[in-house]
Amino acid sequence: MDWSDVFGGAALIPLLNAGIRLAIPTGLAAVGESFCQRAGVLNLSLEGMMLTGALTAYLGAYYSGALWVGVPAGIGGGLLVGVLMALFTLQFKTEQVINGIVLVLLAQAGTSFAFAKLFGDLTLTGRFEPMRNWEIPGLSSIPGVGAVLFDQSPLVYLSVVLIWGIWYLLNRTTFGLAVRAVGDRPAAADAAGISVNGTRWIAILVSGAMAGLGGTVLVVGQLGMFMENVTAGRGWVAIALVIFGRWRPLRVMAGALLFGITDAIQLRIQAAGGGIESNVPFELFQAMPYLVTIAVVIFATARARRSGEPEALGRPFFKGAQIET
Amino acid sequence: MKVDLDKKFELPASLRWLSAILGALVTGGVLLALVGANPVTAYVEMVQGTFGSLFDLSLVLTEMVPLVIIGLGLLIAFRARIWNIGAEGQYMFGALLGGAFALHAPLGTPFLAVPAVLVVGACAGALWGLLVALARVRWQVNEVISSLLLNYVAVFVFAYAVRKPLRDPGGFKPTSERIPDQFELADFPVDEIRVHIGIILALLLVPVVGFLVNRSPFGLRATMFGMNPEAAQAAGVNTSRMTVRIMLLSGAFAGLAGIVQVLGSEFRLSNNLATGYGFTAIVVALISRLRPVGVVIAAALLGALTLGGDVIQRTQQVPRVLTMVIQAIFVLFLLLADRRRGEQ
Repeated sequence: MDWSDVFGGAALIPLLNAGIRLAIPTGLAAVGESFCQRAGVLNLSLEGMMLTGALTAYLGAYYSGALWVGVPAGIGGGLLVGVLMALFTLQFKTEQVINGIVLVLLAQAGTSFAFAKLFGDLTLTGRFEPMRNWEIPGLSSIPGVGAVLFDQSPLVYLSVVLIWGIWYLLNRTTFGLAVRAVGDRPAAADAAGISVNGTRWIAILVSGAMAGLGGTVLVVGQLGMFMENVTAGRGWVAIALVIFGRWRPLRVMAGALLFGITDAIQLRIQAAGGGIESNVPFELFQAMPYLVTIAVVIFATARARRSGEPEALGRPFFKGAQIET
Repeated sequence: MKVDLDKKFELPASLRWLSAILGALVTGGVLLALVGANPVTAYVEMVQGTFGSLFDLSLVLTEMVPLVIIGLGLLIAFRARIWNIGAEGQYMFGALLGGAFALHAPLGTPFLAVPAVLVVGACAGALWGLLVALARVRWQVNEVISSLLLNYVAVFVFAYAVRKPLRDPGGFKPTSERIPDQFELADFPVDEIRVHIGIILALLLVPVVGFLVNRSPFGLRATMFGMNPEAAQAAGVNTSRMTVRIMLLSGAFAGLAGIVQVLGSEFRLSNNLATGYGFTAIVVALISRLRPVGVVIAAALLGALTLGGDVIQRTQQVPRVLTMVIQAIFVLFLLLADRRRGEQ
C-alpha cells in the first residue's frame, strides 16, 4: 500500500477534517459523562445511552424521511436509558457499577431486537444519505483551517456549541456550583439546602441527552445506517476520556479529538490497505483507537499532580445517614 | 444493626430470585405479544426445544461449558468487587494462544497434549487479565474501562491472526486449519448425547472454586477486600497483590473457557468464537448470587434461554436476541428484589 495516502500532504486536510467529525460522537458522550461524574454519579450506562440514541435517531430519520427528526429522537433515546439509570441508581439505590453494565447489556440486546424485528435480519437495509456538510461562507475559504474546521455537518457545529454550553453550565453558573458540591461533599450540599438526588437526576439526564445526541451524530451525520452495536465501544472510550481529561469538559473534549484523529488514521489505513488478502495488518490498526485510549488514560493519571476525581464519585447518598453504620 | 429489624419483613432469597425471574419472563411475554407471537406457545416451545429430549438437553450442557467456566472466574472477581468485564477478551486470547499452540506444538498423545494446551490457554487469559490488574494497581485506572476496552483489542488481534499468520491456506474464510485429532475433547460415547467432556471439567471446577472462595484464607481475604478495602488493608491484606491475583485467576478461567471451546466445539480458530459468552457470563455471575452452585444453575438457565431463542426464531419468527433482553431484565428485577431495605 501507499502510505502517502494516509499521511501525505494532500491527505492531511481530509484526515484532520475526518478526525474532528469522528471525535464528535465520543466527545459529546464524554463531556456529558464528565458533567454527570462531577455530580458524583459513575454512569457506566453511557454506551447503552449512545446505542439507544443511535437507534431512535435512525428510526426517526428513516420513517419521517427528514434527517432533522433524528435529532430529538436520538436525544429521547439517550434520555430513556438515563431515566432507567437514574431510577435504579438514585431511587432504588442498587449498585451503580452493576446498574450501568446491565443497562448497556439491555440496550445492546434491546436495540438489536428492535432493529431485527423492524428490518428483518440484521443486514444493512434502509440506508440513507447522511446529513450534508455546511460550508460556512467566508470562514471555509481560509486556507487549510477552513477546510478542516468549517466544512462540517451542521450537527458538528451544534455539538461544539453544546459542549461549550456544558463547560459554561458547570463552571460559570450557580447550578454548576451545586453540581460540583453534590459530587464532592453531598452532605454539605444537602445541609445547604441543595437537593442531592434532584441534582443527580438532572446530571444523569444531561449525560443521557448528550450521549443520545452522540449516537445521533454517528448515525444521522455520518453513517446513514444502523447496525448491531454500531457505537462499537465509543461509550466506554468516552468514560476513559473523562479520566484522561481529569473531569474537566474541555480537556475531555481534547481527548476526544485525539481519539477521533486516531480513528481517522485507522480508517484511512483500512481503506488504503483493505481486502481480506491484504498484507497490511489493518486489524491491528483497528485496535489502535482503543489502545491509544488506554495509553493516554495511563499517561494522564501517572502525570496528574492531583486526582481531580469528584470525592463522592460512585457513592450513593442517603439523607441523614451519617449516624448509621 | 437496625438492618436485622427490617430483614424480618423481607422475602427469603429463593423467593426473591423466583419473583425476579417471573417478572423477567412476564416482561418477555409482553414483548413477544407486542411483536405478534403467542407468548404461551413460545415459552412452551422453548422448554420443549431445550429440555424436551436427551439430545436437546446435551446441547444445553454444551452451551453451559463456557458459561460455567467464565462465570466461576467472574464470581471470584465480583466477590472482591473487582468488576472484570473483559472476560470476552480474555476468552478470545486464551483461545488464540492455546489454539496456536495446538496447531504447532509437536505433542502426540492426548494425555499430554490436552492438559498442556489447556494450561497455555488459561495462562493466555491470565496474561490478558494481568494487564487490567497492572493498570489498576500502578495507575489507578478503573478496571471496568480497561478490561472492556481490551476486549476490542483482543478481538482485532484474533481477527488478524486468523486472517494472516494462522490462516488455513486452503480455506475460503479466515479461519485456521482444523486442530490435530489428539487435541480434541472427545464427545460422550453415547449416540443421542452431543456434549464433549469439557462439561466434566467445568463441573469439577465448581467445588474447587467453592473451596477457594468459602474455605481458603485467600477467599476470606478476597471477600474482606471486596467489602471494605481499607479495613482489609489495615488487617494486613496486600491490596495490590490481591488485585493482581484475582485478575490472574479470573482471566485464567476465561482463557480456559476459550481454549475448551476450541478443543471441544469449534475445532479451529475462527471469528465464530466471539459470540459473547464473556458478556452472558457476567449475567450468569450476577444472578448466581456469587455462589459456585448458583453459577451452574444460572448457566443452565441462560444456556437454555439462548438455545430457546434459536427455537422461537425458527418457529415464531421472533429475533433470537429477545432472550438476551430477558436476561438483562432478569438481572434488573433481581437487583430490585435484593436491594437492602435498611439503606433506604
